[in-house]
Amino acid sequence: MKWRRTAVAVALVILAVALQTTLFVTLRPFGASPALALLITLAVGRHLGRVPALLVGFATGLLLDLLSETALGLWALVLTTVAFATVRLRRRFEDDVTLLIPGVFLISFGGLALYALLGTIFGEQTLADAQVVRKMLLPAVYNTILAPLFLPPITRLIGERGGGRSGWER
Amino acid sequence: MWRPSGVDRSTAAFIGLVVVCLVLVTVDLRASGEGLGGTLRDGVQTAFTPVQKAAAFVSRPVVSFFEGISDLVGIRDENRRLRLQLADLERQLAETESLQRQVEELEEILAIAPPGELDTVAARVLATGPSDFDAIRLIDKGRAAGITIDMPVIDEGGLVGRVVAVTESSARVRLITDPTMRVAVRVERTGETGILIGRGGGLLQLEMFNTNAALIEGDLLVTADGRFPAGIPVARVTEAAEAEVGFSLITTAAPEAELSRVDYVKVLVFTSDQVGSPGSEEENPPIQPPLENGGSTTTTTIGSGPGTTISP
Repeated sequence: MKWRRTAVAVALVILAVALQTTLFVTLRPFGASPALALLITLAVGRHLGRVPALLVGFATGLLLDLLSETALGLWALVLTTVAFATVRLRRRFEDDVTLLIPGVFLISFGGLALYALLGTIFGEQTLADAQVVRKMLLPAVYNTILAPLFLPPITRLIGERGGGRSGWER
Repeated sequence: MWRPSGVDRSTAAFIGLVVVCLVLVTVDLRASGEGLGGTLRDGVQTAFTPVQKAAAFVSRPVVSFFEGISDLVGIRDENRRLRLQLADLERQLAETESLQRQVEELEEILAIAPPGELDTVAARVLATGPSDFDAIRLIDKGRAAGITIDMPVIDEGGLVGRVVAVTESSARVRLITDPTMRVAVRVERTGETGILIGRGGGLLQLEMFNTNAALIEGDLLVTADGRFPAGIPVARVTEAAEAEVGFSLITTAAPEAELSRVDYVKVLVFTSDQVGSPGSEEENPPIQPPLENGGSTTTTTIGSGPGTTISP
């Protein structure tokens, strides 16, 4: 069952990366697009075991690195941190569901801010980007808007069907 | 697995993965994208391209639907603008044909070899970079179509970017708006040269080499260096600027290519070696008729020495 959940998580990640790179080539409201891979890492991280959630974050980031021209490991570091923040905060989100949506915003914004910072440290000149605030803020807002659409189906796919203890308790 | 007391399993795993990431970043930066990182990128991009093609095939109607809705708002104004533009272009075409005949006659009289033509490869944009920070586009043509690294990419407006990675069936193009991109340009009106620097999106930053030069709004900037064929429209100055004593001349320019909605592009089969041969720009200055309309002709002369022309 654990493997089935991990396989579903991997399939979701691949789908998210494929959609993120193809759906938003020209469809970019206000010049920005949602960070779908980050949102899926967060959504999956709510339900998998702690270490598998970190590994999914790492693998998703590595896939993004390999599909971009950034230094290999940059996105992996960011999405591993996103997964870690998610597994640390998920019990709090479960206790108070109203925290989940602001939590999605904060984790998305924090992840993109970390990317901008690390990108600058590793020579990508991301903070030299004139639209850096917009590129952190708008995807985080879009993720927050999309969260109610994405999180419940993902919970149904890998959370509640996991059997036994829910992902929250692992 | 050993871990210090008080550190739980997930924290230990997190620290371990962070260390792995930092090692990967360091190794990749030291290898400058070559080596194992480069091989892995090629392999993953090759394997993932069919997935992206399928996703693009499925998502394109959805994107078209939403674009159609947003386009409806300004379609009447757009129609009027296009009619005016068409009339203007027809007039320019007639003028250009006349100029072309004059050039041919002059070339014959002066015994100058006519410029050669650059081959182009038409391609469709398949995907974008994985985040808004990546000013990257993936196109559906690669090594099999003759594309190699560093080739310039244009659309109907002007320079889009340059090829930075190639697989057998796809290529990655870095847009001119990327903060790491530098394009040497020439002001078509005055001939003064400068450098355009990407700012991540929107407007580009223009720095002039000659700080005494003056720029006016609407000045067309065309490529000037050996990395790209000379004469490709790149951007238009958006703010007039005049140097003050002791200050460098810096202003902004808007890309001529429609980068936010680029769908089809042309890759120019050109490498910087092509202008490095004897008789390069300095030794053999280009003979170019003055283009009053900013190069918006059906055949754009963009070459010097060896001569390069993009056919429509």
